[in-house]
Amino acid sequence: MSLQSHPPETTLSDDGTTAAVCPYCDRPFVTERQRALHVGERHNATEAERRAYEAARDAESDELFRLHLKVIFAVGLLYAASIVGGVVAFSLPG
Amino acid sequence: MSRHPLLRACTTVLALLVSAAPVAAHAGSVGLASRGAPVPSWSVIAAGAAAVGASFLFTSLLTDRQFVERVPRRGWSLPPVAPIFVGVVRWTAVAAVPLVIVAGVIGPDEPVANLLTLVVWIAWWAGYTMTTYVVGNTWPALNPWRTVAPLFPVEPRSLPRRVGSWPSVAGLLALVALEVLSPVTGDPRLLAAAVVGYSLVTVAGAAAFGDAWFDRVDPVARMFALYGRFAPIRRTDAGLHIGLPGAGLARDSTVYDPDDVAFVVALVWVTTFDGLVATAAWERLTDATAAVGVPASAVTLSGLLGGFGCFLGCYWLAARWVRRTAPTYVTTRYLAGWFAPALVPIAAGYHFAHFVGYLTGFAPTIAAVAVDPVSPPASLPVLSPPGWFGALVLLAIIVGHVVAVWVAHARAFDLFAGRVQPIRSQYPFAGVAVCYTTVSLWIVAQPIATGIS
Ligand SMILES: [Zn+2]
Repeated sequence: MSLQSHPPETTLSDDGTTAAVCPYCDRPFVTERQRALHVGERHNATEAERRAYEAARDAESDELFRLHLKVIFAVGLLYAASIVGGVVAFSLPG
Repeated sequence: MSRHPLLRACTTVLALLVSAAPVAAHAGSVGLASRGAPVPSWSVIAAGAAAVGASFLFTSLLTDRQFVERVPRRGWSLPPVAPIFVGVVRWTAVAAVPLVIVAGVIGPDEPVANLLTLVVWIAWWAGYTMTTYVVGNTWPALNPWRTVAPLFPVEPRSLPRRVGSWPSVAGLLALVALEVLSPVTGDPRLLAAAVVGYSLVTVAGAAAFGDAWFDRVDPVARMFALYGRFAPIRRTDAGLHIGLPGAGLARDSTVYDPDDVAFVVALVWVTTFDGLVATAAWERLTDATAAVGVPASAVTLSGLLGGFGCFLGCYWLAARWVRRTAPTYVTTRYLAGWFAPALVPIAAGYHFAHFVGYLTGFAPTIAAVAVDPVSPPASLPVLSPPGWFGALVLLAIIVGHVVAVWVAHARAFDLFAGRVQPIRSQYPFAGVAVCYTTVSLWIVAQPIATGIS
């Protein structure tokens, strides 16, 4: 359930890219996948839209997995940096 | 990947546990710093910024939409407060204002022994403000100026729509300029004059424009209203409601207009600025500029306004950048307004950090002076906060930023579909949050130049 009662204000990009538009609330999306996810989550989707939603969710899962790998890598880096930083900080004179 | 419910639950719990860990670890290292161990302040600052960055990273692992949407909705409803009780408290507040002003005028000159100074800066500006975000916003019921304004037979008029809530932005900046530029904090007579002036303006404005005055002009009422949205106890259409702190901000369905965004940014900035002008570094800066002929007040005023403009600009640029990172066609204006409530916990955290020491230190002083405001005892009790207060202060700032990250996360999941787009939309704001923590912690780590007087 969404907090917003209306679709958000939107402007298309300057280069005039054709957007995917929600057939229910006219909200434009940058990618077809965003629209499929939006329709599946926010509206009473038809059978075809339901299948498009499932496909988009699968495709997104792969991207999310890569994103989470990056996050874990960044956390590890941050952790290593803070240990190095801590060691340096404690070994400094004064 | 996390399609199995059990696996999903485990990921969630793990992510929650680990996101709490850096904060705890950080508090430990700060405790060392405040005990005078050789930890340079830059490492404390780096650790704080890292804690906020890490909380963003861990929050991004929480992609279970139902979980994100369900958490802020937890809560219970509370029984209504008896009207007779509200009436008594409200009129007590009305009676207290002139009494405290008189006590300030006839009381001693030293601000730390004067009831008016103590009540305004410690009990109200520090202590009462804390209750508005720790408990709930009681100001609409308590506000003595709101209580007396309707008694004046003035033809009500409507505040022009086109001024929006810009007057409150100007009012907030003016109030803080008055606080840091004039000797109002150290001179009880001047403070009494300022309170009388504020009372006249507020009662006249509220009598003429009604509640619109408190919604769009009076910076004090607006500030408390914003803090109240963070507080666990909130007034809803169905009565009083108690829930998680910050949940009201996560569930706020309004999109702030640019004037409201400016007010939220101003609120965060003035709370930070209040701390900045008290540092020894700021004093050195104003001394240096005074040596070349630029008065300290000009530097302070341009710092107040310039810092506000700079922060507002950064926030607006971050909102614009979201269009690219998400990516999305949602307008910059809408994005800035949609995510603005996430800034309120930062302001609350910083307010707590800045004032908790003063409040605990001067609480016994207020009690002693209140007994005999005309000739208070010569030696007044002032507590010196224990060493771990340093850790509490830094923890408050970090908790504020972490709650802000969570509120923005919840709002992103509401605005965008799926799981990748909401996370991508948060990159610019996470960047701004890390920068702002760095600045805030740098200020807090600075030695303080002057105390309350
Ligand atoms: Zn739609």
